[in-house]
Amino acid sequence: MKKMNRRTFLKYSAAVGTTTAISGFPTFLRAQPPEIKIASLQPVTGVISDIGISMRRGNQMAVDDINARGGIKSKGGAKLKLLLGDTEAKEEVARNEAERVINEGAVCLVGPFLSGNAMTIATLCEQRGVPFLMDVAAADNITRKGFKYTFRVFPTTSKFADSMLFYMTQIMKEHNVSKIRGVVTNTGDLFGRVQGATFIKTLKEKKFPIEVIGHIEYPLGIQDLSAEVSKIKALNPDVLFPVARPGDAKLMIRELYKQRVKLQAIISPGSPGWYEPEFIRDMRALSDYVMDNLPWVNPLGKMYKEVNAAFSKKYPGKYLDTNSGYAYLGVLVVADALERAKSTKADDIVEALKKTYFKQDLMVGLAVNFDARGDNVNADTALVQIIGQSLKVVLPSKAAEAKYVYPMPKQLWERGI
Amino acid sequence: MNLNLLLQLAVSGFLLGGVYSLIALGLSLIFGVMRVINFAHGEMMVWGMYVAYTFLLWTGVDPFFSFLVSAFVLFILGYFLQRTIVNRILDFPEAMQVLPLVGMAMVFENSARIIWGPDYISPQSRFALSSLSIGNLIIDTPRFLAFALAIIITFAVLLFLKKTDMGKSIRAAADNRLGAFLVGTNVNQVYAICFGIGTACVGTAGGLLVPIMPLSPHIGAPFTLISFIIVILGGMGSLTGAMVGGFVIGVAESIGPELITNIFHGIGLDLDFPQTMKQVVSFFILIVIMILRPQGLLGGKKG
Repeated sequence: MKKMNRRTFLKYSAAVGTTTAISGFPTFLRAQPPEIKIASLQPVTGVISDIGISMRRGNQMAVDDINARGGIKSKGGAKLKLLLGDTEAKEEVARNEAERVINEGAVCLVGPFLSGNAMTIATLCEQRGVPFLMDVAAADNITRKGFKYTFRVFPTTSKFADSMLFYMTQIMKEHNVSKIRGVVTNTGDLFGRVQGATFIKTLKEKKFPIEVIGHIEYPLGIQDLSAEVSKIKALNPDVLFPVARPGDAKLMIRELYKQRVKLQAIISPGSPGWYEPEFIRDMRALSDYVMDNLPWVNPLGKMYKEVNAAFSKKYPGKYLDTNSGYAYLGVLVVADALERAKSTKADDIVEALKKTYFKQDLMVGLAVNFDARGDNVNADTALVQIIGQSLKVVLPSKAAEAKYVYPMPKQLWERGI
Repeated sequence: MNLNLLLQLAVSGFLLGGVYSLIALGLSLIFGVMRVINFAHGEMMVWGMYVAYTFLLWTGVDPFFSFLVSAFVLFILGYFLQRTIVNRILDFPEAMQVLPLVGMAMVFENSARIIWGPDYISPQSRFALSSLSIGNLIIDTPRFLAFALAIIITFAVLLFLKKTDMGKSIRAAADNRLGAFLVGTNVNQVYAICFGIGTACVGTAGGLLVPIMPLSPHIGAPFTLISFIIVILGGMGSLTGAMVGGFVIGVAESIGPELITNIFHGIGLDLDFPQTMKQVVSFFILIVIMILRPQGLLGGKKG
């Protein structure tokens, strides 16, 4: 190779200089609205990457839609730029990734699925003074720490439990059921634990006529539920109340089938696993009559119809669900706050978020409105049921697409599979 | 104490133990011959699962037959992995051998995520939902078939190592690499084939697990850990040890929590041993064995 001497060096520097002058420099002079960076932190790899990826898609689609509509108008049409972070479903990684996106200039963080991850991000955001909006993370205690920079559009676990009891009251009244003996199962991560425990605690506090005869916990990402289902069978409950995730939900249904566990119903107090298209695709008739108490999409909403159509078109075989829906809504709420704040300073954004009253018909529940803790007071759930291998909102009655079926007319193994 | 429940748990644990044995056999074989621990073992099992699943999608052949395809694909994968990466690190210090294989584990996991997507898949297959009942006892058919096939394959591998020329070369290379080299064995070739057989074992196990467990790219890591425990428990490099260890861990994890809860209740403690902590049982057994028999259950004197 030719050695570089003074002349060639000069030649190259001149060339580089000219190129910079022609291409790079003038962009500084052009009056372009600056980009506003926000970050999406989701568990896109690791044990819950299926949901993490679906949520990142929700976040990204919302950003793209806002930019397509002209960006943040109060900032001269500034476009949003979404920085992507991967929490790998691990707390320490979640913290590092949050640190990274803040250092890269994110003015507001959105995410993540998984309450444990959300807790570490919320703590960091409090230290660094960066607004953080949780799109899906339900554990009560995150917003009970008195954080000033943390907000949540998703319902809390107490809200889940209250609505669950509300729907159960109606079902029990309409079917003259005076008492139910139930088994509660949940995964062993922060959300699973809090969701299972809050449901049981609320039942006890309200002296609700559901007796919990067993509470079984198993690790997140478990690959064999035969022992757990054998225990359920030995307890012989009327109704199973599972808090699950996509993998163990399928394992559970198959094991219940194989071990011939007799149940009147399977009603989740609120968890993933029971509503994803893959659940219905793989379980077919076995998925029928499963109920789930969920912050679901509003099937009658105009916004829902538009967003869902675009989502299904972009990702064939998928539909907008709890997670992707709230991921989309979360970004809209941040954009709305930026619009009203007319600033990218943390305190201005927080002030704007506090005053949020964001009307939406994407998800069930009313306009997004935060209380003093930062929780969305109008977040709500619906009871959905799989009927004829299609997902229907069954309660509350005013939003119902179909009448719920209780008890299950056929046990799992009587369905001709 | 509910004896029927315990018996049910013991049976399903025992059947799964058969598959664990086959997974651990691959790891033990590779370690016994090359003194390298395949940290990508669980992830390679997941590839075995996906291969069987893809074959099922394309041809409709049940995973209980197409595990042969998984074995074949994983053999080739293992062969080339040995030739390109593992062979270069054989003489490295142990800490340095770990890194390339942990790296390969990440490559396998995330490439599976790119190719097959992140969602859990439970394909419909013929035996996925069938079970037999004997009295009060329920025996899961796919688990029983997986168990039976795993045992047959384990014996076939043992027989291969004892009786065939290639098997003898593998054992010679394991005993004394230089000696085998001096008597004219193509040691590199033998090592690559041995690595291939090890990964074919785990690929087979993956294929057999398709009707039992939902597939997802990330499920491999716990299997690496569990086969690691089994191999240490049975004795590093001992193939029969891997088999015995598989059964011990399978049964222990299945009945452990329930049995301990019963013991707690029996001595008047109002405590439940949570199902979440069932790995504590296997690690506890591992520690006890390490204290009483550091070379493992069936390990030789060398350890």
